[in-house]
Amino acid sequence: LAERTASRKNVNLMQLVYGKSASESSNEKEDISEKEESEDDEFFKPKGEGNKKSKEGIDDGNVDIEDCSKFIHYASEKDWRSEDLIESIRNRFVTGDWSKAALRGQVSDV
Amino acid sequence: MGKISYMRLKGSQNLRLRLLLSTLSSTPILIEDIRADATWPGLLSHEVSLLRLLEKVSDDCHVEINETGTKLKYKPGIVMGGRNLVHDCGVSRSIGYFLEPLIVLGLFGKKPLTIRLNGITNDSKDPSVDTFKSATLPMLKRFGVPPEGLELKIESRGVPPHGGGEIILSIPIVQDSLKAISWIDEGMVKRIRGISFSTRVSVQFENTMIHAARGILNHLLPDVYIFTDHKAGPQAGKSPGYGITLVAETTSGCFISADTAVSYASGKEDGMDDEENKELSPPEDVGEQITSMLLGEIEQGGVVDSTHQGLLFLLCALCPQDVSKVRVGQLVPHGIEVLRHIRDFLGVKFVIKPDPSTMTVILKCVGCGLKNLSRKIS
Repeated sequence: LAERTASRKNVNLMQLVYGKSASESSNEKEDISEKEESEDDEFFKPKGEGNKKSKEGIDDGNVDIEDCSKFIHYASEKDWRSEDLIESIRNRFVTGDWSKAALRGQVSDV
Repeated sequence: MGKISYMRLKGSQNLRLRLLLSTLSSTPILIEDIRADATWPGLLSHEVSLLRLLEKVSDDCHVEINETGTKLKYKPGIVMGGRNLVHDCGVSRSIGYFLEPLIVLGLFGKKPLTIRLNGITNDSKDPSVDTFKSATLPMLKRFGVPPEGLELKIESRGVPPHGGGEIILSIPIVQDSLKAISWIDEGMVKRIRGISFSTRVSVQFENTMIHAARGILNHLLPDVYIFTDHKAGPQAGKSPGYGITLVAETTSGCFISADTAVSYASGKEDGMDDEENKELSPPEDVGEQITSMLLGEIEQGGVVDSTHQGLLFLLCALCPQDVSKVRVGQLVPHGIEVLRHIRDFLGVKFVIKPDPSTMTVILKCVGCGLKNLSRKIS
């Protein structure tokens, strides 16, 4: 089961990045036909359309998004002063448990 | 002149990435609808500045912008490199914005590049010049970039809104192509180094930031050292501000970085809400916040921090036709955009697999085999 979930996740990540694969072409066709329908209406609502588009753009965050590689993590909101959190990443440091860290390395090699 | 087929793109997003990939893959691009509906339509001053910079470092490149700046035609030329170049980056974005594409471009030039960049060295939006020096450049070495002539020198610092900083960047060229890597061992953090700076304010700000950062980090590691870089006089640029960059080095030679800077209102907001931005966040908070960010990055468990994901993918894709394998933490939006653009321009698709046991993501790809053609022509 774990394997299956892993593989599903794998597909999802690929899809997330590269979008749907060719097997979903039927969906695309539907999209096209929808577009054709909407073309008739286009004449009447150029302004509303524009607004909608720009709104969608913001939702997707992709049309005029600021060009910036820095990404502020939500993790930064954690309060790292607390002992529990410190302990949770201790094994990522040389002061932590080396055998556990080695295990981590091994798992990743497979 | 024959007809050129342009790759058509839309919007102002990822302009740097598009221009960079366009140049590397010699694909002319045509971008439309650049902020067509915005109050200030068209290209912004830093984007125009970036285009000028591209013209400076390359030969025979052609840029055409329409009157409103909403349409851009770019035909890439040959990257020439060269010494003693100077570029004023302006004050709408920091030097980091320009460095990110420039360091990749420089590698594929005809001659090594040495350029003097003026502008903002540290701000909160782009990676600081300290990050480039201590985390980005070592990363390039992994891909077989010769360490000789790979250098970044900070002559003076400048923070928003008026900048006044200056750096000298030297980038060597790769002789043939990059080297494919397998880089999945993130190692354990063995030391943390950092540098704090202050311009036109008391050095006490730095001490407070460092104290706050060490307060958290020393629970985890004794080997923490944060340098201070107090600038005075002309070296301090034109605006007051302070900031800090932290870099964690692991046993396997990965560099995880986090940086920030604090200064008075930047860019356009100037004048409008001057009053609101009078309050700067206190140095203590800045120190704690940046430490949290660093620990957050370390927790992710990638071989690079989230800021460098895009660069990492790009370098992998530019490798010769060999398999590269890297491990990163959670994919960030910018990284995903880079992956998509790599597919569009270079035809390289990554195999992306999550590694559930460590909550990381492993990416594999076969490089597009980009050769340094500019050099061969000579």
